[in-house]
Amino acid sequence: MARRTSLPVTFVVPTIAILLVLSMVPTLYAIVIALQNRELSTPDYSWVWLSNFVDLFLDRRFLNAVWVSVKWEIVTVVATMVVAIGLGVLMFEVASPRLRNVYCLLFIIPVLLPRVSAAFVWKFAYHPLYGIATYPYRLITGGLIFDPLSKPGTALFAVASVDVWQWGLFFAVIVLKLLETLPPQPIEAARLDHAKRWQIHAYVTLPMLKAPLISLMFVKMIESLRSFDLIYVMTRGGPGVATETLDMYAFSQGFIESGKVSYASAMAVLMMIATVITFTMLWKRAQA
Amino acid sequence: MRAGRLIGRIVLAFAGFMAVFPLLWTALNALKNNVDIITRVPRLVFTPTLANISYIIGRDSVLTGLYNSIVACGSAVLIGVVLGLPAAYAVARYPNRWAGDIQFFVLSLRFLPPVAVAIPLMVIWLQVGLYDTLPALIITYSLLTISVIMWLAIPAFQAVPKEIEEAAFVDGYGAYSVFWRIALPVAARSLAGAVAFSFVLVWNEFLIALMLSSSNAKTLPIVASELSQQGMNVPWGILNASVVLLSLPPLLFLGVLSGFLNSVFRQKKT
Repeated sequence: MARRTSLPVTFVVPTIAILLVLSMVPTLYAIVIALQNRELSTPDYSWVWLSNFVDLFLDRRFLNAVWVSVKWEIVTVVATMVVAIGLGVLMFEVASPRLRNVYCLLFIIPVLLPRVSAAFVWKFAYHPLYGIATYPYRLITGGLIFDPLSKPGTALFAVASVDVWQWGLFFAVIVLKLLETLPPQPIEAARLDHAKRWQIHAYVTLPMLKAPLISLMFVKMIESLRSFDLIYVMTRGGPGVATETLDMYAFSQGFIESGKVSYASAMAVLMMIATVITFTMLWKRAQA
Repeated sequence: MRAGRLIGRIVLAFAGFMAVFPLLWTALNALKNNVDIITRVPRLVFTPTLANISYIIGRDSVLTGLYNSIVACGSAVLIGVVLGLPAAYAVARYPNRWAGDIQFFVLSLRFLPPVAVAIPLMVIWLQVGLYDTLPALIITYSLLTISVIMWLAIPAFQAVPKEIEEAAFVDGYGAYSVFWRIALPVAARSLAGAVAFSFVLVWNEFLIALMLSSSNAKTLPIVASELSQQGMNVPWGILNASVVLLSLPPLLFLGVLSGFLNSVFRQKKT
């Protein structure tokens, strides 16, 4: 369709120009602020260049936040993929087509919820005395108290479980749809060779779906960066700093505790550099 | 093998139950008096009350939040449609050597951590005098809606059979009327899915709204989260009711979005 028309220019240029302005202005400005010493309480500021970044690497709470973020990323991505593949394969194996449709509809519901809603729903459910999720434990132990959100050892996993509840179930639907797009012949051939059900999936279907499953994981890695809403509502980074991820720490430095906008911005800039480099490399490798 | 299948069915049924039960329980709690919520043994039988819901709907802060959410998300989605759909069509149908770069650029906007966007924007809007206003929120959200709509609409336009558009050109249609009269209507269903998705995304957005508003421009998620800041002695029924109100709009799109998902994978098959 090589026709001479002005359409590509009039359709693409304004949109891309607006996107460039909307994204580059805050990005560059974030770097500018990070090199200054702005605080919310006063309009005065001066240039301090890299001293915010130096301070960050001496800040043990920052290093803790990096570690928590890495843990969060690994736990949520791995658990989501395990749940998604497990339930996807199960639906493919034991559910009738009609039942599959029902499950697909049900499994999409959690991911549509605002994360604030999901966080509240589970915060009530995890309540040690009145929560519905802790009720079985109270019942079995005869009234012992289990408070997953206020123990440093379990808080991160309790919050991560909400993330997996939202994304793992949703991705299970996608894994099922991917399995349904596969040609039936290789599966039949494996069955004729007396392969067991799990072997068919482990050695035939899932390897065939390697590329889409990797892109799915890529999407989840990006979405896992947006953990702030869940953590803000459920634990506020606590108990102590056990669930304080980078965005939570940047927020509390910039807005709750001290109003050190520049310090927070330096953190944001480091996050931005790390994620853009990582994901650009991953994306280019996945494309190649 | 039989036992294995049975266990599989049970696991699946349990997962299905887990998917909706917490939400249903919340909806149920929204209809309870506080005494029926604060019980060590969960209560299924209780005298329902509409007090929580009428309290929520009657509160000014909730109504303002609802209004702000609708205006901010509606406008941002509208901007996303007006700017995103034509650009997506051009990238899909008139690919040039930048098409790949444009697609990657649009995707890479999603890599930006929201804090990294929100902090500088807060300073900028403060300086311009637009902090805590809806226009600031709408402009910021447009970045999200335009990029997401573009990203999802490119494959939707590519799925429109080229022959239909070719035939229209032969009939003497210009490039623009082919877009308006052929491509848009043919791809309409997938495009509706993309637009609905972008709406859900900004409706659910929290961090940016939290940083860009202090009193006037608070959206519903912010108002709902503030209801809980009053500690645990807050009437739980009211909190549950606000969660239900906040969750309803995205769930309205359940049908559209699952249809969208189906159409995406049906395309891959053929």
